[in-house]
Amino acid sequence: MTVLLKHLRDNRRAFGGWAVAITAVATMYAAFWPVFGHNADLGRAMEAFPQSMKEAFHLTDYSTASGYFGSTVFGLLVPILVAVFAISAGVRAIAGDENAGTLDLVLAHPVTRTRLALARYAATVLAIVAVGVLTLVVMLAIRIPADFAELSPGDLTAVCVMLTLFGVCFASIGFGLGAYTGRRTIALGGAAYLAVATYLCSSFLPQIKGLGWVRWCSPFAWYLDGDPLTHGVNWVYAGLLAAVSLYFAALGVWQFRRRDLTS
Amino acid sequence: MADAAVEVTGLVKRYGRGSAARTALAGLDLTVYRGEVFGYLGPNGAGKTTTIRLLLDLIRPTAGSVRVLGDSPRHAASTRARIGYLAGDFVVSGGQTSRELLTYLGRLRGGVPAARIAALAERLDLDLSRRIGTLSKGNRQKVGIVQAFMHTPDLLVLDEPTSGLDPFLQQRFVELVQEARDNGQTVFMSSHVLSEVQATCERVGIIREGRLETVAKVEELREQAQRRIEITFADVVPAAEFESVAGLHGVTVGPHPGGGSALRAVLSGSPDELVKTAARYRVTGLLAEEPDLEELFFTFYEREGRS
Repeated sequence: MTVLLKHLRDNRRAFGGWAVAITAVATMYAAFWPVFGHNADLGRAMEAFPQSMKEAFHLTDYSTASGYFGSTVFGLLVPILVAVFAISAGVRAIAGDENAGTLDLVLAHPVTRTRLALARYAATVLAIVAVGVLTLVVMLAIRIPADFAELSPGDLTAVCVMLTLFGVCFASIGFGLGAYTGRRTIALGGAAYLAVATYLCSSFLPQIKGLGWVRWCSPFAWYLDGDPLTHGVNWVYAGLLAAVSLYFAALGVWQFRRRDLTS
Repeated sequence: MADAAVEVTGLVKRYGRGSAARTALAGLDLTVYRGEVFGYLGPNGAGKTTTIRLLLDLIRPTAGSVRVLGDSPRHAASTRARIGYLAGDFVVSGGQTSRELLTYLGRLRGGVPAARIAALAERLDLDLSRRIGTLSKGNRQKVGIVQAFMHTPDLLVLDEPTSGLDPFLQQRFVELVQEARDNGQTVFMSSHVLSEVQATCERVGIIREGRLETVAKVEELREQAQRRIEITFADVVPAAEFESVAGLHGVTVGPHPGGGSALRAVLSGSPDELVKTAARYRVTGLLAEEPDLEELFFTFYEREGRS
């Protein structure tokens, strides 16, 4: 608990800043809904786009609130920002500190590697959860003023739960690679590469004939394909996000226990 | 052995694999007894820091065994509550104040009274309320010293503890080590500064190329120490008279820019006879350089090699 709280405290500015920035972007997008929702011309203009392009950019249906929110607010910029934040927080948990040389001191104390890794991981997950909760609270607060009351609190909760799991997934990848290698650059690079690759798997690559199946390998697809704004949390996709998270986190902790700290 | 604080046998540490592998320790044997102050000396890259990081389980041995306070560092994390460690490059994140950091570290060890931290900080003239990022290198080193000593550990493991400290603080540090020794604590410290080794250690181990070269009493080391001496005189002095002084080599006498003459030589052993000889003339200046430890190691190795 001491290690966990200390990590949150040490990173309070970065974590807080990201939470505010992500929520602000989501709020800004949401505030535009009245403009789109009551503009039939815009809807017709969108219909003219080719189907594959609409799928690639999540531009499925701007005429309903769930379509608009699924494509814009929760569809593009927010998950990308969450992924970037999650990766940086995950890498920072072990590899960032280790490369800065500040991990030696804590581990020279009566703190086992496992305890340190789990506490730091828990702190990282908490930071992501805080982003999800903050986004949800703001969405619930502006739901009526911004005219999207047709999205129930349950719908918004479901999408925020999926967003949080999606963030935890990338945080775990960054954490796991960092804990495994002890190298910040490798962990950042590897996790960013996976984020870009899986984003392409959920957007452009499936448009290529015969590559439709790659969509199944992407956390971006798991996050929104179940359409949480209308169908609630999809437990299969939620389970996939959780399983990948656990896999990377466990692999990282396992190797972190065995290896030398880098100096 | 029950009375060993540190017992290292056949310790090997290799970094990397295959052709890039580098051997840092090549079969080190070392025993530090409880209650002694042990100096760990050697040139840069000899394996001092590697040994210290192995004692704290920050890295793991390739082969050989390590026991610290009776336990294997790998399997007894709780033993580290009884160790105080100061790294050679003590780095902590700068966003926190010294007090926040020290309180946190104390809590990891099960709690250290705030009064104890405050007392140590006062002795070292450290302002606990300042953010660490705003502190000078010397002040950061003080934070490192406080965190190593504050819980009165059974074993202190110190890697180049006085780097960055001015002579006044080096003296404070020496006092802390002496108090720890009087208190029955064990100190294992690597150092480059002979004066602090002389002031604190009973025995020193000299390591070179990953092996323990020799273990000696500090006095033996001092006898070997070579100091560069420069004495300036108001008048010209005869070089021949100084050449016969015991322990003095390479005597040269030349003109001094400020008038008179300057005698330069290398002194080993006691300065007594030199001082008495010089006293026959009017001395205007006296300079004795701190012996260079690196040089000292090599004269020591040579002597050991011959005998």
